[in-house]
Amino acid sequence: MNKTVDNWEPKIVAFLCNWCSYAGADLAGVSRLQYPPNLRVIRVPCSGRINPLYIVKALQQGVDGVLVSGCHPGDCHYISGNLVARRKFALLKNFLAYLGIEPERVQFSWVSASEGSRFAALIEKVVDEVKELGPAKKLVKKGL
Amino acid sequence: MHKKAMVIGGGIAGIQAALDLGEMGVETYLVEKGPSVGGRMAQLDKTFPTNDCAMCILSPKLVEVGSHPYVTIVSNAEVLSLEGSPCNFRVKVLKKPRYVDEDKCTGCGICMSKCPIKIPDPYNKGLSQTKCIRIPFPQAVPAIPIMDKETCRYHLTGKCRVCEKFCEVKAIDFEQKEQVLELEVGSVILACGSQEFNASLKNEYGYKLFPNVVTSIEFERILSASGPTSGHVVRPSDGKEPKRIAILQCVGSRETQAGNEHCSAICCMQAAKDAIITQEHLPEVQTAIFYMDVRAYGKGFDRFVDMAKEQHKTRFICGRIASVESNPHTDTLLIQYITQEGIINREEFDLLVLSVGLEPSESSMDAARRLVVFMDTRGFLETNTFRPVNTTRPGVFSCGSISGPKDIPESVMEASGAASAAAALLGELQSKEIRFEYPQELDIRGIPPRVGVFICRCGINIASTVDVPQVVEYVSRLPGVKHAQELLFACAQDSQKIIKAAIEEKGLNRIVVSACTPRTHEPMFQKTLKESGVNPYLFEFANIREQCSWVHQKEPEKATEKAKDLTRNSIVKVVFAEPLYKETLDVKKEALIIGGGLAGMTAALDLAEQNFQVHLVEKEKELGGNLRHVHTTLKGEESAPILKALDEEVNKNPRIKLYMNARIREISGYIGNFKTVLDPPLSEIEHGVVIIASGGEEYQPKEYLYGEDDRVVTQRELEDMLNGSDKSKLSSLATVVMIQCVGSRDDERTYCSRVCCSNAIKNAIKLKELNPRPAVYVLFRDIRTYGLKESFYRSAREKGIIFIRYDKEEKPDVHKNSNGLAVDVRDKILNKTLAINPDLLVLSAGIIPNPENKLLSQFLKVPLDPDGFFLEAHVKLRPVDFATDGVFVCGLAHYPKDIGETIAQARAAAGRAATVLSKDTIEAEGKVSYIREERCNGCGACVEVCVYNAIELDTEKRIATINEALCKGCGACAATCLASAIDLKGFRNEQILEALEAI
Amino acid sequence: MNNIEIKLKDLVKDLFAGEKIDVLIGYENGSLPLRSRPCFVHSAGEVDRLVWNSYCTNNLAVYLPRIFQRQEHKKEETPPPRVGIIAKGCDARSVVGLLKENQVIKENIIVIGMPCSGMIDPAKVEAALDGAGPYSCQGEVDGSLEVTTSSGEKKRLKREEVTAEACLECSHPLAEGADLQIEGEPKEACDERYEKIREFEAKSTEERWQSFVKEISKCIRCYACRQACPNCYCKICFVDQTKPRWIGASDELSNVMIYHIGRIFHQAGRCVECDACVHACPMDIDLRLFTQKLVKDVKELFDYVPGLSVEELPPLWTFKQDDSQSFITEP
Repeated sequence: MNKTVDNWEPKIVAFLCNWCSYAGADLAGVSRLQYPPNLRVIRVPCSGRINPLYIVKALQQGVDGVLVSGCHPGDCHYISGNLVARRKFALLKNFLAYLGIEPERVQFSWVSASEGSRFAALIEKVVDEVKELGPAKKLVKKGL
Repeated sequence: MHKKAMVIGGGIAGIQAALDLGEMGVETYLVEKGPSVGGRMAQLDKTFPTNDCAMCILSPKLVEVGSHPYVTIVSNAEVLSLEGSPCNFRVKVLKKPRYVDEDKCTGCGICMSKCPIKIPDPYNKGLSQTKCIRIPFPQAVPAIPIMDKETCRYHLTGKCRVCEKFCEVKAIDFEQKEQVLELEVGSVILACGSQEFNASLKNEYGYKLFPNVVTSIEFERILSASGPTSGHVVRPSDGKEPKRIAILQCVGSRETQAGNEHCSAICCMQAAKDAIITQEHLPEVQTAIFYMDVRAYGKGFDRFVDMAKEQHKTRFICGRIASVESNPHTDTLLIQYITQEGIINREEFDLLVLSVGLEPSESSMDAARRLVVFMDTRGFLETNTFRPVNTTRPGVFSCGSISGPKDIPESVMEASGAASAAAALLGELQSKEIRFEYPQELDIRGIPPRVGVFICRCGINIASTVDVPQVVEYVSRLPGVKHAQELLFACAQDSQKIIKAAIEEKGLNRIVVSACTPRTHEPMFQKTLKESGVNPYLFEFANIREQCSWVHQKEPEKATEKAKDLTRNSIVKVVFAEPLYKETLDVKKEALIIGGGLAGMTAALDLAEQNFQVHLVEKEKELGGNLRHVHTTLKGEESAPILKALDEEVNKNPRIKLYMNARIREISGYIGNFKTVLDPPLSEIEHGVVIIASGGEEYQPKEYLYGEDDRVVTQRELEDMLNGSDKSKLSSLATVVMIQCVGSRDDERTYCSRVCCSNAIKNAIKLKELNPRPAVYVLFRDIRTYGLKESFYRSAREKGIIFIRYDKEEKPDVHKNSNGLAVDVRDKILNKTLAINPDLLVLSAGIIPNPENKLLSQFLKVPLDPDGFFLEAHVKLRPVDFATDGVFVCGLAHYPKDIGETIAQARAAAGRAATVLSKDTIEAEGKVSYIREERCNGCGACVEVCVYNAIELDTEKRIATINEALCKGCGACAATCLASAIDLKGFRNEQILEALEAI
Repeated sequence: MNNIEIKLKDLVKDLFAGEKIDVLIGYENGSLPLRSRPCFVHSAGEVDRLVWNSYCTNNLAVYLPRIFQRQEHKKEETPPPRVGIIAKGCDARSVVGLLKENQVIKENIIVIGMPCSGMIDPAKVEAALDGAGPYSCQGEVDGSLEVTTSSGEKKRLKREEVTAEACLECSHPLAEGADLQIEGEPKEACDERYEKIREFEAKSTEERWQSFVKEISKCIRCYACRQACPNCYCKICFVDQTKPRWIGASDELSNVMIYHIGRIFHQAGRCVECDACVHACPMDIDLRLFTQKLVKDVKELFDYVPGLSVEELPPLWTFKQDDSQSFITEP
């Protein structure tokens, strides 16, 4: 991974739920909305599938940012998977920030299947914020 | 012939009917006049009262109906004629040219991006532009473009053909001609919907004259994130955010000068929804809704309106707009309106939204004429209250707003009900045999991964941005990859042959396709794998079009790098993939129906007609439930003969077993395999589905001297009197007062009981017909004669019945004085308190839930709503289902409703139940959760988070077990398990961690 | 022998005499001063081993999941034992948590609530003696602890100054809802809590990270924190799992951090702040600084306090429609 500051580009992992956020990302594509190419998407059935450890492990693997996005409350294909997840995410977000991980490195959002522009704007924002922080160093495994 | 049906109209009702029929094994043609299915729902932003994103819940249905093996979509087509008789119809369908070969087109959209001609976009109601050749909207099914001949440059001038030049699969066909298809079907469902009222006809509101006057459906597009302004709420004149919005109700509804007599049934809630959503977009916005009555008659509706008022600063003003003027400099609107107190006000607004009503569309009336089914004078299909999904022609059924304005859940209920009726007609016919012969599956145990990677160019969609050969070169060197190549269109038929040949030649046992979105194309490639003897789950998709080439068009190098990463990730995931097999579950083809009222009996007969054994349980000694107290319908149909006939039919039907005076002792099991103990006879019955039709009860008033004075009765008691022997007593009455909302819409029960307004009007008219002399007063809060019921409200007023509005805070005061009964009520229009001395006071007592619902909900592990009615899986699209498969609800158990709605919902429940019972086995999802017992602590967290009741806990062994047939594969259990004792197949922890490592 | 201890022993003897329990988990004198240690008493005759004093620090609930684990390997099924457990407020709350998580058989447990006045932290005593070496303890007099240093000097230490952190901040000293209650004067509940957490929150991101690094760098991955925690009853801890391996085996710092993040996060909505992990840590890692943050957030976000009611669902097993989502990124 290229971490020299000159031409450094952050790498951001996005966990997207299949039914809303992944569809929102598809819609951004169909609408040809341009956003920065720093995202690497991992599709999951539901934001409820995301074990908080995935996020921590992603940071250990040296990604510069993690984005998790699911259906808006009420839209979940599995009725309430996102709501069960929301509690875990709220705690994790606070906890990692408390330990001194920059809060912008780990972000959570909701994007619906019709929100292509919200998706693009979200990526724009997350990438900008992570760029501002520079390469991730905390929690990163040595020797990467 | 085998079971075949046709659904005409591809809106949400038609889609649901086609899907239900398909699931019941009926081969179904879904004929849609437009280029794609989806209907009006595809244009909505959110849906009330939960504010779900409409597209989020609709698009999975679109994909499902587009890929269902039993459903054939015939788009851009209309029906010309219907001949023959039920079970033997011949239909002529005119398929209009779209100038694109549907078989060749891959939906890549290049034609649309290259077409030089811009036209107003019908999907966005002309508020934005699209191309002359276009895919109607991004989620459209079928995703095939249509060319607008009228504006096409080639068609007009003979020059252009740009689309043809860029289409690599040669799908453009300028010479395409009309085609008449002749199809044979056994039954037909009409679901052609309705259209919006043309607001230009009400020119006093300035539509099309002033830029900042829009219709509700246009406003819906403005609110939508996928709309013309990407969800920025701005006014058309200057693109600025409005600060003051007026919404005017009943434009083209409830008035006969330029509009329609009927109420459009949906607009009140739509306005409340739009007000809420607008305020969420623009926190400072002030919205005023001008209304006649707030018709929040559905489940959760009143709470939703309260939310709009209290949390979203929405003013509800009872009054009409008299005139609209526009300031020519600012385009701000000066609105003059008259309140119910008769005060004339003038107020400025930045935007005026006209809540346009629904009316019969030309195309639905055409369809009705061609099919020779009767319409009423308004142009809606004629239906009988007791036969809500039947038309006047046998074998032809209907659903949705073609038979009157209605909202999504009612349309979906009718759709499932019509499907049930259509399938019942085809009862004895055999299902079409769809049997695919797949080769023996390759056993990959012990064989190292041999991955084949196919990178799609998608014409130039991917290849113009991503350097496809470079990606191929890169991935071919990755560990495990034995084959890598590019394809012009991975989804094309000849590409499937190439993939199959590579599997065979190189002994590939895992496949990655880097192309577009798995959401639409994954099933197709999985089928190719199956045909090559590779387990379909040894497949991964990388999305390098929607999520790469299309969104990084200006950064080809970075896009190429990203495409490499995404493909590499998918390779890692597929290397760690395992073959998966779907569990199957036998189905006991019998149904348990709880409740022998109208809903239960209707559902029982429908299922019995489809040859399923039914166990019907009634707690009373006779069938009929509340219907025994309803003597006539609003339309005047007598219910006694219907009840008698139903009772007889149920009693003599050999496939219906009756259990009278019986109660449920215990229910266990799950879809396909329930076991229930009844008492009596204290024996166990086995069944595959449960329908809850446990009904509701009339509220017993504690107010207004009820029970203390004989002159105070409920509507039900009045109806008994009107239809009984003591009719004569009624003829001597001089003054009758009716009070609405008794036990409804108060602090204890916040919901509207839905039927009381119509009931009061029905009885009031009857009283007047019996003897026109007495003064009849109806004291109401809002008259909720929604939809076609409005005409009876009008006729009641014409008959001299006096309607007086009262407020929740100022309820009528009932007491006794020297003159007998006295009712004081404040009349807001006259601004004084009226003192009435009725000799009969009739209370419109609401409907309350069956107190036994609670116990049933515990037995079946299905939820109740805050009011005590059963809470369905989804209030819009799954109105009779629960998250727990195999359990359905209908009738008053679900919410107060009238006879027609009860029957439609009962038939819907039967239809949904039949989709289960018609199968010998149920197939589970492939990607389901599984338990690693050696890790499981038996804590029970998974059981709690599973909404499908798919996990059970053996508390003694302290081990959880998963019923794969019930698991939907969401993975919430796996993420909640602290011991990682649950994992989700296809998305295993290992696969995800390895994929992370590969990033 | 103090009054409470006498009452306790009488009560336990009665329980054995009435054949209400097969085993009692309690404390006996430890081999070091200022320390009592857990013990298992199997009959009335052994009851006199029991002690109750200010050094009964361990959370005894830690033994319950194993006691009630079904013995799959045994040929003959023996019925699960009936267990009595001596419980401070924190132990009792752990029992409630374990009941919710199905690790304890409700019919087979008798919780004996003790009037806990807070436990002495030996580390604080040592610190107060300024490294004066081995000592003995003469007990408590007038709210002070009397100790003798290695040099023979007698010292009085103020009780509050040597009371364990967890006890000073204890919100539930009384084992409410215990099956049996030993009468006495428990410590007053503390309402003013999380001051340290708030202070830490107020620091800069960088300072917090440095503190985290400093604390976790001490860790030798002995897992004593896990062994001492009543909630860490997993058959196979995530840190020991393979396929997938959540955490690399080396003591490279990021691995150690993820172990602690993971373990502490697993306590979310379950931790009763007993500090068993803190007391067990041989490297004096300030784990409380991290565990308590989650306790505080769980209370603030979900209004949930662990171990108070068996019926209430743990917060991560459920949700509310209107749960806070202020953490959601709005583009």
